[in-house]
Amino acid sequence: MLSEMFEKRKLLSYKYDHALELLDDNQDIIQLLISKEVINQNGSYVEIDETFLDFFEQILEVNEVINTAYINDNFEEVKHNILYYLQENSESRKNSYLKAVKSTLKKIGRITIRNIVDLKRNVENTFKTEPNFKVKLTKLENQKKKLTDIKNLIQQTELLITEDERTFFATALDEELRSISTNLQLQLRESRHNLIETQKQIVEFINQIKSQSEFIEKLRQIKYLKDQFEIRAKTNINALLLEANALAFEKKPSYPLQLSLEGLQGDAVYESILKINRKVKTKIKPFVLIADSISEEYLEVETEEEIHINMDEVRNNFAASGNHLFDFIQQYQFPREVTYEERVTVYCQMISMYENDLEITEKYSRHDTIEYAMVHPKRSRL
Amino acid sequence: MNAPKQTAEIFDILSKGQFICSNSSNERIRKLFDIIAENGNFETLQDYFSAINFVLEEGDEYYYLSRFESKADLERKIETAFRWIDIVDFFKSYDTSFTSGSRFQPSDILVKLNVDAVLKDKLDGLKRWSKKETYKENLEHIITKMLCAEGFAELENEIFNEYKVLSSFNYLEELINSINIPEEVQDEIPE
Repeated sequence: MLSEMFEKRKLLSYKYDHALELLDDNQDIIQLLISKEVINQNGSYVEIDETFLDFFEQILEVNEVINTAYINDNFEEVKHNILYYLQENSESRKNSYLKAVKSTLKKIGRITIRNIVDLKRNVENTFKTEPNFKVKLTKLENQKKKLTDIKNLIQQTELLITEDERTFFATALDEELRSISTNLQLQLRESRHNLIETQKQIVEFINQIKSQSEFIEKLRQIKYLKDQFEIRAKTNINALLLEANALAFEKKPSYPLQLSLEGLQGDAVYESILKINRKVKTKIKPFVLIADSISEEYLEVETEEEIHINMDEVRNNFAASGNHLFDFIQQYQFPREVTYEERVTVYCQMISMYENDLEITEKYSRHDTIEYAMVHPKRSRL
Repeated sequence: MNAPKQTAEIFDILSKGQFICSNSSNERIRKLFDIIAENGNFETLQDYFSAINFVLEEGDEYYYLSRFESKADLERKIETAFRWIDIVDFFKSYDTSFTSGSRFQPSDILVKLNVDAVLKDKLDGLKRWSKKETYKENLEHIITKMLCAEGFAELENEIFNEYKVLSSFNYLEELINSINIPEEVQDEIPE
């Protein structure tokens, strides 16, 4: 139960009922602890007695509060013991003082390092976790003060070993003491280096916080003025911005350059053109005019027959006939009924079409009102 | 001394109103920063850019361009500065130590909105810049279209959707810091 209470010592309250639960409802133990003043009861809460708490913390080396007084006490103790040692004549009592000095010296080294580690952790914790700027700053300032205290103590201790009590360290011819003091000096040196580093860190943190909190404050004021629409009248923002010519204030420029026509001919560009073409899809769809449907009438097949007079055939037959052309045509059996006028037209057509195949004579003959030339097939051809 | 061969690349970035930051997660940008910072290069580039009416400016771990005479009118600059003030104010109230080098995830901010009424109120106020309705869209717009697009932050980790604040954020802080509030006005502002 004590160990759990110790773990929760940071919490402000530890309920009596919780303690009871942990001890399987055994009230006697709690009462015993209370009567021995190991724990105090405060209404429905219990807490570990301060003296015991300190004791536990020191035994377990878990204290978070840097206790420079503690080092100081030890330091004084060493001093006193040394003094006793030098004044004492009895060998055995001298030895007991020596022993005390040795153990305290060991302790000082350990505590100093322990304190520095704690300090460093505290500084970092404060910087990272403390939400309130003002508290953070004050805490860091305090830690800086503690750091100076530790530094002074280290200096004093070093002086003690090397200067002030040189006689003691020279006279007390003890091998162990010598090794302890050397060890202590090494530890102190290491501590000093650590302290310098920590100090640097604290200063840096303080500066950061100061500039940050100043900035936050400034930002708050400016934002307030801006929201009240007073910023332009009450601050120098106009003048300031008149001076500020950074490009960041301007619209993002674009530089429209004409495309190189020669470049567009290249094959590489073709892909890009296709790509852009795909992108340029307008929503306007071209309206296609649709023609009326074709009426049934147009689809009906109409045939018109015309009997054609094959002139070639007429000519061939004429060549074989031996008659003269006009007479031949008058008597020719055409595939259809052919009138007299038409036969005369065919006669004329024959002459104009096959002029080279015919022999047109100078003799004329008459039929009704028409005077016609006597035409024979060409002898040479036949 | 000749201008470094990356001058075109540098100009390309800076002329868009962007910044070249030393803590960019883009290796190329970091390289460009180093090149500008290299011995003598800054002066060379300054001369070079001044010939085309630009001024290469050096900030705390970042570079940017300005002009001898700004093309933006005062109204536009005021508008921009107001937007920046709102944005910086929002992120500073999300995290008081929000500054160059900080990392943040939009999802974390969204979670904090639920428990922080002031933050929610401020995000509502940012709607006038983003014109988005939902908190998520609003925040996204502010981060991607404003912080990142203007070069004050960048997406560092795509898997976690984690953003990193660049050193150009110092520019905003410096700008706000350089606004001078007369003492008698300071006294009028409530705590």
